[in-house]
Amino acid sequence: MEKEEKGKLKLAVYWGAACGGCCVSVLDVHEKLLDIVAVADLVFWPIALDIKYADVQQMPDASIDVCLFNGAIRNSENELMAVLLRQKSKILVAYGSCAHMGGIPGLANFSNRDALFKRVYMDSESTENPEHITPQPKYDVKEGELEIPAFYNDVQTLRDVVCVDYYIPGCPPQSERLLEVFQAIVSGAELPSKESVVGALDKSQCDECPRKKTDNKKVKQFFRPWEIEDDGETCFLEQGVICMGPATRGGCGARCIEGNAPCRGCYGPPPDVTDPGAKMMSAIATMIDSNDEDEINAILDDIEDIAGTFYRFSLPSSILRRKMIKKQLAEVE
Amino acid sequence: MKESRIGVYICWCGTNIAKMVDVEKVAEEIGKLEHVIVSRNYKYMCSDPGQELIVKDIKEHELDRVVVAACSPRIHELTFRKALENAGLNQYLFEMANIREHVSWVHSDKELATSKAADLVRAALKRVSYHEPLDKLSVDIDPATLIIGGGVAGMSAALRIAEAGKKVYLVEKEENLGGQAALIDLSFPYLNPVASFLQPLIEKLSHHKDVEVLCSATISDIKGYVGNFETEVSMNGSKKSLRFGHIIVATGLRAYDPTPMENYGYGRLKNVITSSEFEEVLHSGKIVTDDGQTPKNIAIIHCVGSRNNDYHAYCSRNCCATALKYANQLRSALPEAGIFELYADMRAFGKGCEELYAKTSEKDIMFLMFDPKRDLPEIKEAGKKDKCKMIISMKEQLSGEQIEVPADMVILMTAVEAREEAREVAHAAGISMCGNDFYIEKHPKLDPVATTTDGVFIVGACQGPKDIPESISQAWAASARVLAGICRGSVAVEMTTAVVNEEICCGCQTCVSVCPYTAITFDKEKNVSVVNEILCKGCGTCGSTCPTGAIRSRHFTDTQILSQIEGMLNEGKIKETEKIMEEL
Amino acid sequence: MDTFEPKIVAFLCNWCSYTGADLAGTSRMKYAHNIRIIRVMCSGRVDPTFVLKSFREGADGVLICGCHPGDCHYHEGNYKCLRRYEFIKRYLKQMGMDERRIRLEWISASEGKQFAELADEMTEQVAQLGPCKVRTVMENIT
Repeated sequence: MEKEEKGKLKLAVYWGAACGGCCVSVLDVHEKLLDIVAVADLVFWPIALDIKYADVQQMPDASIDVCLFNGAIRNSENELMAVLLRQKSKILVAYGSCAHMGGIPGLANFSNRDALFKRVYMDSESTENPEHITPQPKYDVKEGELEIPAFYNDVQTLRDVVCVDYYIPGCPPQSERLLEVFQAIVSGAELPSKESVVGALDKSQCDECPRKKTDNKKVKQFFRPWEIEDDGETCFLEQGVICMGPATRGGCGARCIEGNAPCRGCYGPPPDVTDPGAKMMSAIATMIDSNDEDEINAILDDIEDIAGTFYRFSLPSSILRRKMIKKQLAEVE
Repeated sequence: MKESRIGVYICWCGTNIAKMVDVEKVAEEIGKLEHVIVSRNYKYMCSDPGQELIVKDIKEHELDRVVVAACSPRIHELTFRKALENAGLNQYLFEMANIREHVSWVHSDKELATSKAADLVRAALKRVSYHEPLDKLSVDIDPATLIIGGGVAGMSAALRIAEAGKKVYLVEKEENLGGQAALIDLSFPYLNPVASFLQPLIEKLSHHKDVEVLCSATISDIKGYVGNFETEVSMNGSKKSLRFGHIIVATGLRAYDPTPMENYGYGRLKNVITSSEFEEVLHSGKIVTDDGQTPKNIAIIHCVGSRNNDYHAYCSRNCCATALKYANQLRSALPEAGIFELYADMRAFGKGCEELYAKTSEKDIMFLMFDPKRDLPEIKEAGKKDKCKMIISMKEQLSGEQIEVPADMVILMTAVEAREEAREVAHAAGISMCGNDFYIEKHPKLDPVATTTDGVFIVGACQGPKDIPESISQAWAASARVLAGICRGSVAVEMTTAVVNEEICCGCQTCVSVCPYTAITFDKEKNVSVVNEILCKGCGTCGSTCPTGAIRSRHFTDTQILSQIEGMLNEGKIKETEKIMEEL
Repeated sequence: MDTFEPKIVAFLCNWCSYTGADLAGTSRMKYAHNIRIIRVMCSGRVDPTFVLKSFREGADGVLICGCHPGDCHYHEGNYKCLRRYEFIKRYLKQMGMDERRIRLEWISASEGKQFAELADEMTEQVAQLGPCKVRTVMENIT
């Protein structure tokens, strides 16, 4: 247990439904981590420190100065911890795409618990589960009753369950941006207004993007990135490859583009947009170079998975935040 | 919903709305919602007292937004906006809910209609809180006028405007001025020679110092906006640029070619001619068949290509009176001939026409009625023993008998229809066409010569079949409007245009090629798109194209429309179900 | 038993379809009360966000009307609307919604009768599909 040092900031990092990448991004500040621990105590970080939930419960309310919560809300444990950490933190930051918009785990909203369990525990190729055993929230054993967190049908974002103070977007957020935010907090600078997105630009990717753009945004055919001979210079959209850049905040240094891959939208929408998927769909649709219904549909056939492409990171935070599934519909009055 | 002080007014429109919508109930319900400071119902909101009510409330209650639920905004939006201006409030802080054309006049269940009206008012309420004050821009009016079409309508308008000392460009597709009227020998109902008034008109225009006549000329596209239009006219291989402040479209109609109507045998039977061809015959002075013989029997068939869903469903208006004219002219020329009028209905309205009909029926003309929708007469070549060139079989409606009419010459009263370049001209001038391809007026009763495009007027037959006096009346009406505009010297242009937020615009350039008016350009230095406010016509296409939300279609912003949707679908307390990013 | 009365949000363009709907009114044509009209200047202004928002707020159907091809007051706004419409239909289908809940039709300024008939037709179609459960599902996290 860290000895409490007066004057030092208390920092917490927690992961909900996450891949661990955001935690790694914190570590990715490399040697600057030493600068961080010089001014801050890490009071809770499951991936790195053996501090228990009970310890957190013991902390006084609002005693954690900054909590970086990454990962989406997938089950009751994630929600419980979100609520607890909200209580114990002065500033709660939704860190990374999953906490911000739902992220990749959010794509589970195309499915529901029953369908997911069936696939994972019964139908997957290497599974033998003749008795169809799936996780249950409660189970009796001779020692007593065991409980595990309830698995929700719907993946949610952090702000769906608690009030969020700031968002640091990205999958994962760039470590340099994290450092900038941290410096700002440490230096006591005036923080931006609540519920702002920090560590990202207001302008979209195109502003930073090194590729050449023209006004010739007309597409007669859409391609997957590997289907074209990319010249490395021309705007992806102008080559018929879907790039979420225009509807995605900049600030990541256009790193995917620098790697010759189109932007996938992990930094989330620019300030005036609530549903970036819908905006991008509109832009892409407008680019279709045809006025004939049949031709338009033939061109649209090129896009394999519209919802997945445009809502790769933002499904749970979009307007239609989940797929309407028949069984679920029957359960709703 | 933004913090506002809203005044709501539900109009009775006499009984037009009140009969089907419980206006008092709506006013009461709406009055309970937050931000609604006053909620009234009144008999005629568009009347002076109605408007004064609004002005008074704005001043007394410090209202900053107004909603009026009444007729269509296309009728009175401007009226109420003026009321706001009179009260010192920016006229765009206003929204109308259409509860007459879209509710009381089209539904028959009072409860459901009232509920729908309330929904529409809630939508307007929510939306108006996000309205922003907008300024109008004043633009100068170029005193020149472009008139497309040198027929009787176009020429009449040209002369009127020129006589007021203002420049006119009269563009005519054919080699000569005159249009369809020039083809006509005598006019109905008084059988005066058309040339007697047409020729002097053409003369005057050709020599008028303020009229530039451009024949064999075509226009491809007109750019600009009211007061400031420009185009390029192509004439005989050369091009000329013109600038003008108003446009009068007078392109007229053309005669229908009855070849597809096999029953009439036009094109196959030599002596079946159209009314236009008959005018040529009249001009020649000799009424003879193809072999130079004087016809003993002449039939005039009405409604050829008109009033029939297989051809044109509408009535071509002039043919009945013209056919009566022909009967009279034939009777004068051929006192002994058998003259048959095969008609569907005798539509001889208008000054002097009923008298023409009466006079004609005394001239030993046989009137035979057929059904234009189901049972068209059939013309066949007569047999050797028949004493005529053709036999027309028809089911005569009044007697119910199938009869045969002898004819050596048949005159088909062909329909009028849109010209083949009608669509091109409509596009160029920025006007719309209806299902019959006639040009659409701003309002069929209240504004028949204006169009929804400011500065562009339509006169004459291009707006719908009409005769010479009507065409001239419209031409003079439009010229008066144009002269009024020129006299004012400037016109206010609405600023409900698109604007780019340069702090958000990332320079993707998706919007640039989307604008039909090329109003968007790209500033390479700043790496942002820029909208030319004057060229922008406020369609909003760029607003829904922009993936970053940088382009705002003023007065039709995302926030405004999304809040309208919310208001419409949420009864009772207006609640925020989604967080909408507030726009500055 | 209550018969289901759908709520249909309709986006009508000012120059053609809204005017056509007005004409239905001046001609006193009667049609289903379920349509709620929102005026836009051009069907090209209709953003997919509006469509999604309508369903999210509880609409059972969304109707978009624009000028006939070639007649758009702003030249080609209706074609842009057509492209977005085809796009969003696919998206809605992928999200488990019946694509018959959204419809794009061309209505000119003189087609009051056609608008009235369209209103009735679409109301009946959507009534047959039953209430759209989007709002309920979205508001009930499970």
